[in-house]
Amino acid sequence: MSTTPPAKQEGLIRLGSKPASTKLLTVKGAHGDILLPDDLAIRIEKLSITYKINVDTKKTLKNAVMRASKGEKVRMRTVEAVKNISLDIPHGSVVGIVGANGAGKSTLMRSIAGIMPPTSGRIIVNGKISTLLALGVGFNPSLSGRDNIILGGLAAGLSRDEIESKTDEIAAFADLPDGFIDMPVRTYSSGMYGRVAFAVSVSMTPDILLLDEALSAGDAAFKEKSFLRMRELVQEARTIVIVSHALATISDLCDTAIWMHKGSILAYGKPEKIVEKYLKFLEVGTLPSNLEDM
Amino acid sequence: MSATERTGLPKKGASAPLIQVFEPHKAKLPPLLPYIREFWERRAFALELARFADKAEYLESKLGKAWLILNPLFLSLIYFLLVTVLRGGANKNTGLSTLAHILIGIFMFYFAQNIISDGAQSITAGGRLILNQAFPRVLLPFSSSVRAFGQFWPTIPTYFAVVLIGKLFYPKTQIPLANLNYLWAPLIIAALAITAFGLSLIFAVMNVYFRDTSKLLTYTTRIWLYGSPVLWQPEMLHGWHRAFLYINPLGPTLAATYHVWIDGVRPSGAELVGMALWLVLAMLLGGYFFTSRERDFAVRI
Repeated sequence: MSTTPPAKQEGLIRLGSKPASTKLLTVKGAHGDILLPDDLAIRIEKLSITYKINVDTKKTLKNAVMRASKGEKVRMRTVEAVKNISLDIPHGSVVGIVGANGAGKSTLMRSIAGIMPPTSGRIIVNGKISTLLALGVGFNPSLSGRDNIILGGLAAGLSRDEIESKTDEIAAFADLPDGFIDMPVRTYSSGMYGRVAFAVSVSMTPDILLLDEALSAGDAAFKEKSFLRMRELVQEARTIVIVSHALATISDLCDTAIWMHKGSILAYGKPEKIVEKYLKFLEVGTLPSNLEDM
Repeated sequence: MSATERTGLPKKGASAPLIQVFEPHKAKLPPLLPYIREFWERRAFALELARFADKAEYLESKLGKAWLILNPLFLSLIYFLLVTVLRGGANKNTGLSTLAHILIGIFMFYFAQNIISDGAQSITAGGRLILNQAFPRVLLPFSSSVRAFGQFWPTIPTYFAVVLIGKLFYPKTQIPLANLNYLWAPLIIAALAITAFGLSLIFAVMNVYFRDTSKLLTYTTRIWLYGSPVLWQPEMLHGWHRAFLYINPLGPTLAATYHVWIDGVRPSGAELVGMALWLVLAMLLGGYFFTSRERDFAVRI
């Protein structure tokens, strides 16, 4: 462990009120060693994510051959989903991300999880990550709830023993009517399906939990239960990043919030203030005058 | 609850923190050792995915997994009838040899075909997994290969049962039931599986970029079957025509299958070299093509 402070990076936003730790971890990067304060869970450095989408036709060999024979080129549209974001998230932070559709929230979450590669910049993650970016990932509707708990747990990175030891606990948390846990998932209501999927995700004990609109599963009683479970995770000092359109959840659970707009961070700070600004934007439809230039 | 009430760092006694660095990635291989380690650590996911996919498919079928044997068995019988009709009939001794050859050939070819076609679709079919979980993507085609093996192995006792019954009726037939050269069979099956897995990686990437690749494979594999020594014997090719046997990635393996199972002799040196070359080539090309592009899958799905 090194104790040399790193050079301060331009535009790097550090969330939370504590100053950065002076104890540094040395991490190997593709272009040499990287020094990382040991209290950081996530460091995002000048991250940009751009991808191209085919706007013309279906992606088929047939179309490719037809186009080639006519000498035509594929019409591509470049999407700049995330633009030059730099962010430090210390361990134990609960960060809420708000923003309109297409703001780049989900892309940012996927890149932190290692699912989407950066186009430029870098992400360093210090800790075991668990993601709940969509409900029921890895589920097979023909299989029972019990089988899907095992499949979902394995997909999320648990070992066979870990998930088997937690199956009953997860089934109890999902609170399904009698006998439903051994019935095919296709016979479940959407609420029941969401409850099982949510129960699998929060059964893990990751260092960093990434949640994307996941707290909307189930009925009012289950939402309350989910909220309590989230509070438990917060009290266990986990680092949590939540993307949600439920602004009350952001205000109640998070200690910091970020407002993303068209791929950039527009504002960050106390959740109540960010939510207030964002709500004004939603009502008026234009950016606040002090943020227009950003 | 305020931020100061939390401890801020992972608790003592917890396992050493895992630090991951995600950097721009073009057509470059990921660090191979960590990739292989992660693949190994998460192999249970691939194995269970294969087991559950099988369970889900046959859950509501009355004959259940019996179809795994019945399907290639009926197919072999149809091809046997076609081949004997085209030849103008079969005599008592060669008839059983022909049936046995078609049986083992079809079983082996369909094993390879299932690995290739299911593997080709595994990435596009696993879109939700790709978009929402980070894991070595090669686990998905690997899971398809495991599933194909699960469907293949029950056909081996079926082959022996058919030959045993056949020999009761036609004792003069030359097909061996027990032979030391059968020890080559596991090696041949492994070579076929690994070659097909390497090819499935290539087709899986192609299917991400061109979604009709899997449809095209349906027709390609049919032609591939006719061009492989399954419905005809490797010795029917003479002179430069024998090159057809070796430019076919499955040709040397299926020719070796014929020699071991039907003739009861060891595979020829040329067949062994051909098998080894195609295995290495398919794995190197498939492995490179797949792993160098797999981080692109999330934006292409």
